[in-house]
Amino acid sequence: MTASTPARPARRNGEGSSVVSPAPLQDTLILGLGNPMRGDDGIGVRVIEKLVVHALPQGVEAAEGGTKGLGLVNLMEGWRRVILVDAANVGLAPGEFARFTRQEARLLGDDRRLSVHNAGLREALLLAEVLELLPEEIVIYGVQPAKLDWHAQLSPEVEAAVPGLVRSILGELDASARAVSISSAHWNTLTKEQEEGNHGE
Amino acid sequence: MSAVNVNVDVHHLTRVEGHGNIVIDVKNGELVKCEWQIVEAPRFFEAFLRGRPYSEASHITSRICGICSVGHATASLRATETALQVEVSEQTALLRKLLFHGEMIDSHVLHVYMLVAPDFFGAGSVLPLAATHPEVVMRALRIKKLSGDLCAMIAGRHTHPIAMAVGGFNHLPTIKELLAIRERLVAARDDMDETTALLKTLPWPQFERETEYVSLQKDDEYAFIDGHVATTDGFTYPLADYRKVTNEYMVPHSTAKWAKHNRDTYMVGALARFNNNYDQLHPRAKAAAEELGMKPIVTNSFLNSAAQAIEMVHCIEDSIRIIDELVDRGIEEEPLYQFEGKGGEGVGSCDVPRGILFHNYVIDDDGLIQGANCIIPTNQNHANIEADMRALLPQVLDQPQDKIRHTMEMLVRAYDPCISCSTHLLDVEFV
Repeated sequence: MTASTPARPARRNGEGSSVVSPAPLQDTLILGLGNPMRGDDGIGVRVIEKLVVHALPQGVEAAEGGTKGLGLVNLMEGWRRVILVDAANVGLAPGEFARFTRQEARLLGDDRRLSVHNAGLREALLLAEVLELLPEEIVIYGVQPAKLDWHAQLSPEVEAAVPGLVRSILGELDASARAVSISSAHWNTLTKEQEEGNHGE
Repeated sequence: MSAVNVNVDVHHLTRVEGHGNIVIDVKNGELVKCEWQIVEAPRFFEAFLRGRPYSEASHITSRICGICSVGHATASLRATETALQVEVSEQTALLRKLLFHGEMIDSHVLHVYMLVAPDFFGAGSVLPLAATHPEVVMRALRIKKLSGDLCAMIAGRHTHPIAMAVGGFNHLPTIKELLAIRERLVAARDDMDETTALLKTLPWPQFERETEYVSLQKDDEYAFIDGHVATTDGFTYPLADYRKVTNEYMVPHSTAKWAKHNRDTYMVGALARFNNNYDQLHPRAKAAAEELGMKPIVTNSFLNSAAQAIEMVHCIEDSIRIIDELVDRGIEEEPLYQFEGKGGEGVGSCDVPRGILFHNYVIDDDGLIQGANCIIPTNQNHANIEADMRALLPQVLDQPQDKIRHTMEMLVRAYDPCISCSTHLLDVEFV
């Protein structure tokens, strides 16, 4: 290598870490990953199709992440929380899904097997982490696929999982929207709101 | 090269798309085997298209590739428009070019920085590179963010170009949005200069092998969309005659079809475009080429990545020019095409990041697709990749086996091959 090795620049810490310019953080991005032409790999995109017709809480956006690979770093940037929906080998029966945070699971792979497409979520998260661009909170909904061949439909098992996934994600958004409104409310109404919230469950 | 034994068997080469193997076997200095094997299951997009309405074709084919979705959509729309004799407006042509530039930059910056650069920095992948040289990777992400936002402004969203339709766009950017992107494109010139400066310091492997370079060509601009097919061996063809160029054939060690034209092999991609259309590059792109010591005809395949960087400069500059033209003209709502009950056959071609791409559709009078043929760039490059490997091998045979393997991997990666848009199934272990 003939290139000189420049000194590592000072890194910004915490909030506002950004590729372009520090912008105010938006709250929650729901990203559906995968290719709908590859059978159950389309589950993420399918869930987004269903979510966008709902009135999502303020500050929440649902978008297709497709097979962006490392490009996911750019898509996730600037969001406080990112909820990802993807086909995943989570050791369950086809159509069953697991919800986990980044700390709760290890995404397996080989760093040398990295390409634009083969770089998936795992690699994008690792890259974002190294560059300190990772959203504060990453939640992953991993759905066990039945079939991943070139096919434009989901398998019946995975299609059947869609309503449950949408419900879980909307529930999660509701819970946090309530938490936000509680924290910004007057202290003297806090207990009351919490009680109402609990009754509403 | 006597008494040399080399056995290289790279299964599922890293940092290229999909599954390709490099197999080299040299016994006592004799070349026994040198193959570029493709072991992907073939894709069935042509079958997906049969019987579907013409209006769905661009949306289906844009899923062939997550990186080249605009490229496939544009070639698909051009095939449909040719078949149905649809004329597109000047505004549509300008917006498509601008969108295409965005995707070109997006793809090239990923390849140059995330896949090729790690080889030169002695990093196994972009992950360790990001740890040792964060400013290099941040620059790449900055450029990528700009190109992604440019695409989203026109295509309607970051992933898959939903706003593109037969005959036009069903969503248009505003002048304000165009001007905001223009400002960022101007600012990106610094990053382009840094990119050229970085590439200049890289020790590109010395390797020359003359081949035929095939790309689109146009009289009035550096061709990415439409035009005719041109080769450095002096051939030109109208798009309708694309099969005279591709001459697809099968080989036993590949599930993909290979292609040949005037010689046993030909090359497509950034270097082919550079060699055919250098004169039409923007002056700033030519300056970058001069800085990198490149003037056509460049016959070192490794420099395909450098040609990509030169094209990024061109696309940034031409995007600024297109935006100025759009702002001058103003953006107008235009009526979308209505099917008139008459089908036909058409060929559409674009020179996408990895090279020339052909879509060919037959549409019936009900507007349904009866037949489709898609020839992707990487398949046209396979034979040339293997020929390069065979030519390069004797030159590196005195090196340690690991070094030989690495050089061969770099060679294949230079082509930016896209063997498959594979799924990226997460494999999860709970802790």
